[in-house]
Amino acid sequence: MHKYELIYILQADLDEATLDAAVETIDTLIKNNQGEITKTDRWGKRKLAYPIQKTNEGYYVLVNFEYNPEEVAALKRTMGFNEQILRYSVVRVD
Amino acid sequence: MTDSRDYNRSDRSDRNDRNDSQGRGSNRNRRFVSRPKYCQFCSDKNLTIDYKNVEVLSRFINETGKIRPRRQTGTCAKHQREIAKAIKNARHIALLPFEGDFWVENH
Repeated sequence: MHKYELIYILQADLDEATLDAAVETIDTLIKNNQGEITKTDRWGKRKLAYPIQKTNEGYYVLVNFEYNPEEVAALKRTMGFNEQILRYSVVRVD
Repeated sequence: MTDSRDYNRSDRSDRNDRNDSQGRGSNRNRRFVSRPKYCQFCSDKNLTIDYKNVEVLSRFINETGKIRPRRQTGTCAKHQREIAKAIKNARHIALLPFEGDFWVENH
């Protein structure tokens, strides 16, 4: 188990309920693979430094968690399939 | 003639300039740019490099979005590497631009 940090950007034009559901999906996805979430921090709506998929705003969520290194690739792949996520990044913290 | 040539010199020749100016004796057309002598991150241990901290990182990019060189910012080699890495991470998640200006209106 290693410590990781995940940042993902959700579409900003989703309504509250859909946003909550999307964040919940990611959290359970991590938990279901023996991951341990230490903190989920919602930055909220932010202006992007450059447009992604023709939108200028995004909803940022930061997740600190512990995860099995071998499972990270699978996690990234699943996040890639999620169309509500504009961009994500998983970084190892030491 | 010499004036215009000096003016067009690129920053890369900075290091040689110092020796040259002694030989030529006249450097009244050269603009003096004061540069920081110490690495900010070495002198202030509380200042950490984090790809999420846009306020700190934005000091290390110029108005076209490029990473500023060490000779301008004064950071040591070790921290410059970390800064460069952090900026690249920040660009990927659209916190910093790949090119062009941006406004820190979110803070």
